[in-house]
Amino acid sequence: MGTDEVGRDLFARVLHGIRISLTIAVLAAMAAVAVGTLVGVLAGTLGGKVDAVVMRTTDVFASQNHFLFGILLLVLFRPALGGAGAVMLAVGLTHWPSLARIVRGELMSLRERPFISAAVGGGASRWRLARRHYLPHLMPAVGLAFVLTVPHAVFHESAYSFLGLGLPAHQASLGNIRADGQRSLLAGGWWIALFPGLAILVAAMAIGTLAEYWREHLHPRWGSELEL
Amino acid sequence: MLSAEAITKSFRASSGRVVAVQRASLALESGARLGLVGPSGSGKSTLAQIVAMLLAPDSGSVTIDGDRVRVWGVRCSRELRHRVQLIFQAPRVAVDPRLRVGEAILEPLAASGIAPAGAAERVALLESWAARVGLTRDLLERFPHEVSEGQLQRACLARALALRPRYLVCDELSSMLDVSTQAALLETIAAIQDERELGVLLITHDRVLADTWCDEVADIRELSARDQGEEAVAMRPRDRAARRLRERTPSSDAAPEPF
Amino acid sequence: MTELLEVEELSVGFRTRRGVVQALSQASVTVGRGRLLLVVGESGSGTTVLAHALLRLLPRNVNVSGSVRLGGQELLDLSPAELRRVRGRRMALIPQSPASSLNPVRRLGGQLLEAAQARGLSEQQSRTRLRELLGELGLDLAFVSGRYVHQLSGGMQQRIVNAMALVGEPEIVIADEPTSGLDAELVDTTATQLREISARGAALLVITHDLRLAERLGGRLALLYASRIVEVGPTAAFFAAPAHPYGRELLRALPEREGKSIPGMAPELTALPGHCAFADRCPDRFDRCTESVPDLYPVPDGVLARCFAHAER
Repeated sequence: MGTDEVGRDLFARVLHGIRISLTIAVLAAMAAVAVGTLVGVLAGTLGGKVDAVVMRTTDVFASQNHFLFGILLLVLFRPALGGAGAVMLAVGLTHWPSLARIVRGELMSLRERPFISAAVGGGASRWRLARRHYLPHLMPAVGLAFVLTVPHAVFHESAYSFLGLGLPAHQASLGNIRADGQRSLLAGGWWIALFPGLAILVAAMAIGTLAEYWREHLHPRWGSELEL
Repeated sequence: MLSAEAITKSFRASSGRVVAVQRASLALESGARLGLVGPSGSGKSTLAQIVAMLLAPDSGSVTIDGDRVRVWGVRCSRELRHRVQLIFQAPRVAVDPRLRVGEAILEPLAASGIAPAGAAERVALLESWAARVGLTRDLLERFPHEVSEGQLQRACLARALALRPRYLVCDELSSMLDVSTQAALLETIAAIQDERELGVLLITHDRVLADTWCDEVADIRELSARDQGEEAVAMRPRDRAARRLRERTPSSDAAPEPF
Repeated sequence: MTELLEVEELSVGFRTRRGVVQALSQASVTVGRGRLLLVVGESGSGTTVLAHALLRLLPRNVNVSGSVRLGGQELLDLSPAELRRVRGRRMALIPQSPASSLNPVRRLGGQLLEAAQARGLSEQQSRTRLRELLGELGLDLAFVSGRYVHQLSGGMQQRIVNAMALVGEPEIVIADEPTSGLDAELVDTTATQLREISARGAALLVITHDLRLAERLGGRLALLYASRIVEVGPTAAFFAAPAHPYGRELLRALPEREGKSIPGMAPELTALPGHCAFADRCPDRFDRCTESVPDLYPVPDGVLARCFAHAER
C-alpha cells in the first residue's frame, strides 16, 4: 500500500487502525444499543406515566444535533476518559434515542398479542414478561440496530479524530489515517485516504454477514413453512 | 363459586364508544359446567377475559370463592390468578412462538415460582401432563409452528391445568379444530372434574355442543338483560347430578341422537 | 363424458428441514359441472394443500406429480401467463377468513373494481357486473364501495369475498374452510350463500373440517386422512352409514352422537407408514391392515372406501 506522509508503512498502519477503530466502534455501538434497549423496554413494560416521561426525555435527546452534542461530550470527558473512552461515550450517548423508540414501538405491538395475555394469566410479573418474552422477541431488531450502528460509529470516530477531538493523532485509528490522508490528497497521495475507507466498508460488510448468520441459526423459524 | 355481577365494559372505537358487555351477571359453581352461547361480537370473549382477571370492567364485580377481585391485569395477585385459567380460541397466537411446546406448558409454573426445582422432577411433571392431554413426548421438544393446531390446543390445556385452577374458562376452545380433538379436550376436562371440583365455563357458538356437554346453558344476550335484583344464572344441582350419572353408565341400546 | 374437474393421482410433498412432508398421496377426485364436492379432513391432513395445488398456489419447495384437468385442459404444466387466464376466470378461490384476504387500508370499491378488471372486464363492465352481482348477494355496491373492511359485519365481508370470486363467472369455485371460526348464524348464512353459488351453475369444491356444514351442503364428499382419500361418495350416505372406520369414529366424536374421541393421533406426514395409516387407531384392524396400503374398494350406494374390510366384495 505504500507509505504515508511521514514514511510509515500504510498497510501496517491500516491493519492496526482497523483493530482500533473496530474495537471503539463495537463498544460504542454496544453502549448505544444497551441504553436504547433499556430505555425502550422500561417505557414499554411499565407504560403509563413512566412511558410518557421516558419518551419525552428521549425526544429531548433525539432533538439535539447528535454530532454537536457528541463534540460537547468529548470536550467534557476527554480529560477524564482519554480519547478512546470519550469517543465511545460520545457515540454511545448520542445514538440510543432512535433505538429506544423502535424498541418501545415493537413492545407496544407485542403487548397486544394473545400469548402475552396468556402469560399474564399464568401469573407472570412484568419483569418476567420482559425477560422471558419481550427481550427474546426484540433481539432481531436490536441486533440489526447494532449492526447498523457500528459503521456509523466508525464514521463518527473518524470525524471526531479528524477534528482533533477524538483519538490522539499518533494513534492509528482509521479516522486518523483518513485525516492524514485528507491532507496528503493535494500532494497526490490518494491512497492514504482510500484504504482506510475501504477497510471501513469491508468491516461493515463483515459484521453484517456475521449478524445474518447469527440470526439464521440461533433463532427458530417463526412462520411455518407451509400450511396444510 | 365464581360469580360476576353487573359487568359492563365498553371500548373506544373509531366510531365512538362501543359497549361490549352490558350489566352481565353469571355464577359458576365448583364442579359445574356452564355454557355461554351467543353470536360473534356479542361480548363473550370480553366477559371471559374479565372473569379471568385479564381485563378490568368499567363497573361491576367479580368474586372468586368469596374473595372479591380488586386488582386486574398484570398486577393481580398470583394466588387469585391461579384460581381461574383461560384457554384461548386460536392456540397458535396464544403461545410464544419462541418457546418449545414443553417449555410453554411449564412456563406459568416457572413464572410463578412454583415449578419443581430439580430438572428430573420438572420433566416428570411435564410428561405426566402431556400424557393426560394426549401429547407424545417427541412433540414437547418441537416449536409451535412444527405442530398442528389440535396438538397446540392440547398443550394450552395442559398449560392451564398444570396450575391446578379451580375454574376453567374455555373461550371457543375447539371451534377451529376437528370433532375428534374437540372430544378429546372435553374428555380430559371431564376427567379432571371427576378428580377434583373444577368449574368450567364453556364459551361456544356451537349450541348443540353446549346443550349436550354443559349442565346449563345461558345466552349472553339474556345475561345482559337482567336487572340487578334478579337471580344470576346459577346451577341446578339436581340436573347436574342426573347428567353425570348418565355419562358414567352409557346405555348400549341408546340410539345416536338426531341433529 | 369428462367431468369438469379431474384430479388424478395428485401427490404433493414439501421439502423441509425435517424431511419431506407428504401432504397428498395419489389423490383422485372429480367434480361434475354444477356439482358440489366436499373435501373433509382435519387441519393438517392435506385439505388446504389440495385447494392450493389446484390453483397452483404452492410454494417452491414442492414435489408435485399427477394430473389436474379442467375441462380437459391439463393445469399442472401451464405457463404463468396461461395460469393467470385460468385463475379467476375459470377457477376461483374463496380463501379462509375473508377479513384477512382483503386490504384493510383500502376502500372496498377499489378492491372490487380491481378484482373485476383483473378478470378482463373494462371499468364500465366491471361496475355493471359488480352492481348486479352484489345485488344478488344482498349488498348495495354504493354502500360498500366507500367503506373499509372493518366497517362491515362478518357476513358482509364473506359476501364481498364471494363476489370477488364470482365476478369472472368461473366454472368452478373453491371455498377453503369457509366457516372456520364463524358462529352458528354465520355458518347458516355461508351455507346458504354457497348453495346460491351452486345454483348459478358453477361447480363447487368446499374444503372443510366442519361436519355440520358438510351435512347441510349435501353433494358428494371425499374424506381425507393422512394425505390419502379414504372414502368418497354421496354426502348423505356418509352421514347415514360411513364405510371407512375413520369416518365412523369421526362421526362418533360429534357431541350430539357420542362425543367420543378417537384415541391416538394421526401419523406424521413426514413418516407415513407403508400400510393403512389408520390401522393403529382402528378398532376393526386385522392382519392385512398392517401389510400394505389398501386401494379404494367399491361399497354399495356408489361409495368407495380405502379399507381392506371391503376388499372381498
